[in-house]
Formats: sequence, C-alpha cells, structure tokens
Amino acid sequence: MMIELVNVSKTFNNGHKALKNINIKIDNGEFVFLVGPSGAGKSTLIKLLLKEIDPDDGKIIINGKDVTKLKRREIPYLRRSIGVVFQDFRLLPDKTVYENVAFAMEVTEASPKDIRRQVPIVLSLVGLSKKANLYPNQLSGGEQQRVSLARAIVNGPSILIADEPTGNLDPDTSWEVMKSLNEINHRGTTVLMATHAKDIVNAMKKRVIAIEDGTITRDDMKGGYGI
Amino acid sequence: MKLRTYKYFFKESVKSIWRNKVMSLASIGSVMSALLVIGIFLILVLNVDYLAQKLESQVEIKVHLVDGLSDNIIKDIQKEIEGLEGVKEIVFVSKDQALKEFSESLGENSYLLEGLEGDNPLSDSFVVTLVDPRLAPKVTLAIKAMSNIENVVYGKEILEKLLDITYFLRIGSLAIVGILFLISVFIISNTIKLTVFARRREIGIMKYIGATDWFVRGPFFFEGVLLGFLGSIISISLLATGYYFLSRYIEQQMFGLLVVSLMPFNEVLNTLIVALLIFGVIIGSLGSMISIRKFLRV
Repeated sequence: MMIELVNVSKTFNNGHKALKNINIKIDNGEFVFLVGPSGAGKSTLIKLLLKEIDPDDGKIIINGKDVTKLKRREIPYLRRSIGVVFQDFRLLPDKTVYENVAFAMEVTEASPKDIRRQVPIVLSLVGLSKKANLYPNQLSGGEQQRVSLARAIVNGPSILIADEPTGNLDPDTSWEVMKSLNEINHRGTTVLMATHAKDIVNAMKKRVIAIEDGTITRDDMKGGYGI
Repeated sequence: MKLRTYKYFFKESVKSIWRNKVMSLASIGSVMSALLVIGIFLILVLNVDYLAQKLESQVEIKVHLVDGLSDNIIKDIQKEIEGLEGVKEIVFVSKDQALKEFSESLGENSYLLEGLEGDNPLSDSFVVTLVDPRLAPKVTLAIKAMSNIENVVYGKEILEKLLDITYFLRIGSLAIVGILFLISVFIISNTIKLTVFARRREIGIMKYIGATDWFVRGPFFFEGVLLGFLGSIISISLLATGYYFLSRYIEQQMFGLLVVSLMPFNEVLNTLIVALLIFGVIIGSLGSMISIRKFLRV
C-alpha cells in the first residue's frame, strides 16, 4: 500500500471542518482522480500528504511510514519521495527549463554527474528536449506545466501529486499534460490528481475519489466525474 | 555537507549581495563604522594598558630628606633603606645635583632657575628602585616610619590615574560598542530580510522539492557573514593605515619628548585583525540568523 489514510479528520482554527473521518487506500502504481467542488477538502488532503499541516485525528501512512509522527527535520525526505505540481506551475523565471529541472536535484545535493544524466531523460519524457535552453516566459502554459512535471519527477519519487494541473490551461494543452502524466504513471509512479476537469476525468477512465463537504461521497475504480 | 553545497551557498550569497547593491553597501558601511569605533576604542585601551605597564616597570620611590643632615646620618639612612625587603638599588641625589638636573630638563628655559644656586630650595634625596613595583606601597610605608625623612613619593598617582582612565575607557567603549553592535545587527538583518522577500518564490519551491532547512537557509546565512566580513576587512585596513601613519608621525615629531611611545604597529595590528574579524563575523551571522528565524520559517 502506497498511501493510506485512516480515520483522518482536520478542523481549522476558524472552526471549519475540512475533513471528517476520511479513509482512503491507494496502491502502488495507481492513477487516482480526486474530484469535488472548491472548498470540499481536496487541497487540505494534499497539504496533509505533504505534511504542510497535521491532522487532528487519524493516521496518514505513506510508503509504510506514519507521516503524522515524522519529525520536522524528516519532512524534506518525505517530500523527496513525493513529486508535486501546482495549477500555477511555480517555475523560477530567471532559470532556463534545464536549470529549473536541475534545481530540484541540486537542492537534494545530487552529484553534477547524476544531474547531467537525469535531467535530459525527464525532459525527453515530457517532450521538451528541444526547449531545454528557453526560459519559462518563452513557453506556452502547457509546456510550462510539463517542465514542472519534469521537475517533480526528476528525483524519482514514488508518488506524484498534481493539484489542478490543468486548471490554467486550455483543453488542447491540457491533453498534452495528461499524456505526460499518463506516461509517468505507466513507468510505475503512483499519481494522485485533484481536478475540476470533468471531460478529462470522464475520458481517462481511472479511479475517482469524490470529496464533498469533507467526506468521501464516492470511490469508483473506473468511474467518471459524476454529477 | 558537501563542498559543492558550500560553493552553492557562496555563489548565491554573492549573487544576492550584488542584486541588492544599495542595501548591501549600507550594511557593509554600518558594520564598517561600528567596527571603526570599536577599533578606535580598542587601540586606545591597548595603548593606555601599554603605557600603564611601561610606567609600572619604571616605578621608583623618591625619598626626600630633611634639610641640613650630616653625611653620617645620610649614610645611616641609606643603609637602613638598603636593608629593606624588595629594594634593588638606592642612589643618592644631592640637592645641588637635583637642581642641576632640573635646570637641564628645562633646557632653554633654564634661566628661570638662575640665582637659585646660593639658596637651593630642593632637598637631598634617594632614588630607590624595587625588585617588584607592587612592593612600592609597603616599602614607602617602611621608609616613612624612619626619622629625618621629609616625604616619600612614588609614581602612584600617575599610575592610578592611568588605571582610572582605562576603567572609564572600558566602560564607555563597552556601552558605545554595544549600541553600534545592535544597530549593525539590525541593519544586516534588514538586508537579509529583503533578500528573503525577493526570493520567497524560490524558497517556497525549495520546500516542496524537499530541500532541508539548512540548505534553504545556507545562502542567507552566508550573505550575512559575508557582509560582516567585508565590513571588518575595510575597517581593519582603514584603522591599520591610520595607526601606521599616526605612530610614525609621533615617533618623528615628538621623539624624546615623550617618556613612552605608542604601542608598536605590529602588536596592535594583530589584535585588531583578530578582534575585528571576529566582531564582524558575529555581527553578520547574528543579523542573518534573526532574519532567518523571523522570515524563513521553512
């Protein structure tokens, strides 16, 4: 079991109950959509997995470890095992595509040799080998998101979390990103993608977990977006 | 930690010092001026200490005798003083001799003493040197207890005054140094805050891709240390140059007029370099640590 949430609850200081007694199990190599209206608890769930926040109750087990019990200084190593991409790409504007991806390896103190070998591999995986020396503002939105995908997987994480990765993209470029995500999943990485994109969820025919008002309302192995 | 990580820290800190040129200059300038003042006080304290030490080693007791004693009585007194513990040497100075020396020490102005030969107001005296200057009060007391002694003096007053000056110098410099220290720490921490702010995007990304705390903080810490280091290098060169020319000037212009000279340049330089480098680096690292703690909760 890759990710397991057991009876997880989270109430924020303002009294808002973001998650109520959530139970989720995600296996190795699965591709899971996390759907639901804004404010339903998707972002809270992702923050819990990255240990940006801690739950009030319950256990969150990732790669066999209860992350709620991790010490502060162990958090970076948890995050190295989880790649993450966001709706707004979060690329560094003064670094080239290549440098943006290499940066993720530099902060883990990888050797320059490994960096020179690994970065071209992931750039070709997302189809951006030819744009390695361009800057983010010279790329389309879809291309920028694929750079951030490359950055997320360059350290070889076992899990990839995508928080509305197509939220800022038009349908065509969204599909470019989905193709890359699918490719990454086929290579064995577990993918968890929070999204509003109904047509993508319906077309991909993957497992769908729906959250509404802090509880899981549906968990279909080959489901569509639903209502 | 790997060597290339330090290289990365260094590169990033130089980059951001360059990017925030104005604030970096202001920080270096404030560290520099703080260290200049600290250095000036240090030089003063060192020199007063040096002077006190020199004087202390030259302590001699002057024993003035009652006027009109016979040679035999004077010899007896000399023997008695010689017998005291701690006395190294005793030299008799007759009143005529004393007048001559006095007149010589006045040089061109010796005419002031003309006509005094017949009615010498000075007295016969002994100059007593000691094995250890710390014995001076004890020996002085013992001599005072003897008969036919007019009075006994030693360089006590000057010494004590010097020690008083050192004391006030130390207290005063401590206060000023403390204030300047705090101001420079504050300015450095402000500069680092700007850097942290300019790079908050990058910091956020680093957190998500699993950078450890110290890896995120490293460049900022280095930046503070580097600013402090540069400030201290500049202040050291300024102070060293100034002191070099001052001591040379004093040596050339006032040679012979002063009993003791300034502390030698090399000795001052060594202390200055060590003290100011340590101060500068402490100011820099404190300033950056404050910013890191306040603005870089990673």
